[in-house]
Amino acid sequence: MLSSNQTRLLRESRFTLLAACVAIGFGLVVIGLLRLQVVQHDQYVELAKENRVRLEVLRAPRGAIYDRHGELLADSAPSFNVVFRPFPSESVASVRLTMSPRYIAHLSALAEMDSAEVRRRVALANQSGQTAMLRHNAPPPIVAGVEEWRSELPGLEVQIEPLRHYPNGTLASHLLGYAGEINDVEMDSLQQDGYRPGDLIGRTGVERRYEDILRGRDGAEFVVVNAMGKRVSSLNEGPPLPPVAGHSLTLTIDLKVQRALEEAMKGVERGGAVAIDPRDGGVLGMVSRPAYDPNEFSEGLTWARWRELSSGGANPLLDRALQGMYPPGSTFKIVTMLAALRYGAATPRTTFAPCTGRYFFGDRSFACWKPSGHGVLNLIEALQNSCDVYFYQLGPRVGLDHLMETARALGLGDRTSVDLPQERRGLIPDAAWYDRRWGAGHWRKGMMLNLAIGQGEILVTPLQLALMTAEVAVNGRALCPHVVEAIVNEPQFKVARPASSGITADAAVWDALHTGMERVIDTGTGSAAHIPGLRVAGKTGTAQNPHGKPHALFVCYAPVDNPQIAIAVVVENVGHGGTFAAPPAGAVLRKLFLPDSLQNAKSIPGVRETTEVRDAD
Amino acid sequence: MPIRLRVPSIDVPLALASIALVTIGLLVVYSATSVPGAHQGLWTRQLMWAGIALVAAWVAATIPLRVYDSLAYPIYGISLLMLVAVLVVGTSAMGAKRWLDIGPIRFQPSEIAKLATVLMLARRFDKQKLDLRRVRHWLPALLLTLVPFALVAKEPDLGTAVSFPVILVTMYFWAGLPVGQLLLGLSPVFNALLFFVTGTLWWFAGLLAILLGVARPRIVSLVVVLVLNGAVAFALPHVWHHMHDYQRRRIETFLNPGNDPYGAGYQIIQSQIAIGSGGVTGKGYLKGSQKALAFLPMRHTDFIYSVVGEELGLLGALTVVILYAVVIVRGFRLAVVTRNGFASLLTVGLVSAFFYHIMVNMLMTIGWAPVTGLPLPLLSYGGTALLVNGIQLGLLQNVALRRQEG
Repeated sequence: MLSSNQTRLLRESRFTLLAACVAIGFGLVVIGLLRLQVVQHDQYVELAKENRVRLEVLRAPRGAIYDRHGELLADSAPSFNVVFRPFPSESVASVRLTMSPRYIAHLSALAEMDSAEVRRRVALANQSGQTAMLRHNAPPPIVAGVEEWRSELPGLEVQIEPLRHYPNGTLASHLLGYAGEINDVEMDSLQQDGYRPGDLIGRTGVERRYEDILRGRDGAEFVVVNAMGKRVSSLNEGPPLPPVAGHSLTLTIDLKVQRALEEAMKGVERGGAVAIDPRDGGVLGMVSRPAYDPNEFSEGLTWARWRELSSGGANPLLDRALQGMYPPGSTFKIVTMLAALRYGAATPRTTFAPCTGRYFFGDRSFACWKPSGHGVLNLIEALQNSCDVYFYQLGPRVGLDHLMETARALGLGDRTSVDLPQERRGLIPDAAWYDRRWGAGHWRKGMMLNLAIGQGEILVTPLQLALMTAEVAVNGRALCPHVVEAIVNEPQFKVARPASSGITADAAVWDALHTGMERVIDTGTGSAAHIPGLRVAGKTGTAQNPHGKPHALFVCYAPVDNPQIAIAVVVENVGHGGTFAAPPAGAVLRKLFLPDSLQNAKSIPGVRETTEVRDAD
Repeated sequence: MPIRLRVPSIDVPLALASIALVTIGLLVVYSATSVPGAHQGLWTRQLMWAGIALVAAWVAATIPLRVYDSLAYPIYGISLLMLVAVLVVGTSAMGAKRWLDIGPIRFQPSEIAKLATVLMLARRFDKQKLDLRRVRHWLPALLLTLVPFALVAKEPDLGTAVSFPVILVTMYFWAGLPVGQLLLGLSPVFNALLFFVTGTLWWFAGLLAILLGVARPRIVSLVVVLVLNGAVAFALPHVWHHMHDYQRRRIETFLNPGNDPYGAGYQIIQSQIAIGSGGVTGKGYLKGSQKALAFLPMRHTDFIYSVVGEELGLLGALTVVILYAVVIVRGFRLAVVTRNGFASLLTVGLVSAFFYHIMVNMLMTIGWAPVTGLPLPLLSYGGTALLVNGIQLGLLQNVALRRQEG
């Protein structure tokens, strides 16, 4: 224990050190004050008086977006804003001038604006010191007029600002998303990240998901301007900070595939379609109908137009490829068949009681889509003809757990973790879900029958269907769907790897599936997607739903022996999948795999005619 | 010669300097908000808060010190809960969540956490027989300080967050940790900072060699220090190199928000113009016609010192410096003369935090420190800050009143 005297001595020595720190700190402040207020006083008096220091923002261009072959999908083009820059209220004469009726009238005539509105904005700018926006994205005649009169109207200026431009209009609009001017609420939470009023921010799609990478960092320069707003010199205290351009993105999208998809879906009122490369999970094309033009957002929307887009009947802003949830209908029979084969509930040769067009279960009767019945079929034939009665009998043999486990392993009922925002999960109900829904042990009889043919509570997105098809095409290898292939000049970027290890089954199981699905196209319900000389495998689906006519669904991949593309098409409320969803997919395959010379041929010599489309499920 | 027993009283120079500073603050807030526009008339609210702060100071000075001592940990715990609450339900402004709204009152829990951390550390270091070279003596204190530091940094409010380590280091030092040991312990931090500033590790390697030569640590400490620094030196460039451009940008903005060109950089230039154009004698009270300041949204809070410099000139600015110096030096003197170990540590913690805030704010207004959003204690407009400052000064007077108690 130290005596109090020793303690006191120790404290005195420590106090000396602390006092020295304090002296150094305040010494620095005093030196700083002397420098500003004595040494550089005259210079700052000058700055404070007539001349003003102004900050010129050097806007950083947003990164461009390219397809996988370098075709441009989005970039930035210069646009012109007419603005009013206020004067310091010290320059009383200048401020008075800018509020004079003549000045305001001249300004409003040049900007083609209501003079009361111009007066209000100029007054606000003078009061707050903030630059006022008069015309955003002004048309060239107005810009020319302003440039001509600029020198006579102090404060009036033209600002150049990069504007987001999508050269292909509505093409891939949902996937690309759009970038809009940041709003007040976003400003509040994003100011820390360096956002400023007037900045563009990605709102949906790739623009939103890759906001951090696409947006650059604005630069700035302090300049000294004279009373007329003319630049006199730059300021030594703040060296210019050069803007840093945003990174450009290369997507997995193939403009050729995207164009073909858009073309094929043109007549569709509401629906979605996705094409995936089964070799790596890259999204080749993605369409949602109805579409919108993202350029409208860059150029500025009227309130009415915004209402129309965001809450109009067909809701064009909804990306149905990611956010539309549909019962899979008979496309789900792929899952049921895979589950049956994996868990030994059936073999490809297994037959059940013949299909007579209906099936009785307890006291209920379940119909097959073909009223006259299919007779006796084995599993492969049942898939080929999409026989409901066969699958009614198969469902309970597979069991809920095995069926849903297989569905989940194929990526249904959960986010695919594609690199796009706002993806929906869909729903693959399991035992626990039904217990919650109806209470344990109170399950509806016959539920398994409906689930086996993809009806009931199951909900999937078109993207999930495409992913499922792609994984079946490559014998269950896990895929992680993605839309961004690379960041230009950022070699560190890596495409996300699939989280799961995929789904395992014997080679014979996959062979049976491929055979069944190929027969669907060749001689079954999906003949509308038959392409001469190309081995295509697929499955149609017709999903009953409470909103009107059934949804038409179709999934396929091609070529069977070397899969390069997997497609899923969903068309809302039109009717049978074979009639309405298979033809668009067929059109895409035709475009991609047939040489140009045969594109428009009605028939191909020596190849079977396939225009006959049966109204089949 | 008869021995005159002096009756302990409050520290008069400290009290006078504090009151003078609050008065100057009120006058300058009045001037800064006299320009037509937003914020007009805020000075009456500040006057009300000054009254409340005075009462709070009196209350803080009256409660016996052992009460603070025994309540140190509960107060610390509550302040941590409030810091968590602010991250969950806090009110955000200017891009950071810093405020909690309770009814009509809005306050920054980080202010209270600072006070609570000082109390907690004073209690720890007073109770232990000071051998800070032992891990179990210094490590818990370090961890307990890093918790509020991390929570406040998360808001994000790096400026305030840094005051926690500043408090900790000063109190380590006051509790008896030799300077050499302290610097060695801090060396990984210097290492990282120098790397970010210079981009190489050579500067630091040189400094560390000198430091080791001077401090001559025991072999165990030497190994620990070398291993820690080796790890930092190895990991940093590696991590930095493997980060994306935009990730680096985020870190840079976090470390130096003033780097953001047309927010903070602009404010600094305007502040420099205001101070510089004030000259030696200033433009006169209420005559700060440098309306560049009207372009400064925070002239009555963060940039109040710029208004002092503009209107009252070098003389006014120096007066403020001297008054602050009186408060701080008298504060540290109290830590020397008090007989109570807890009180001594408490005083050092409070005064060091106070000094840190003053430095960061003043150096910012003259353009030599980043814009961190820290107000100037006692001068800036802000109710809860003034209230907490009042409590801190009340605690100092409390120590003065009881300096002869053991």
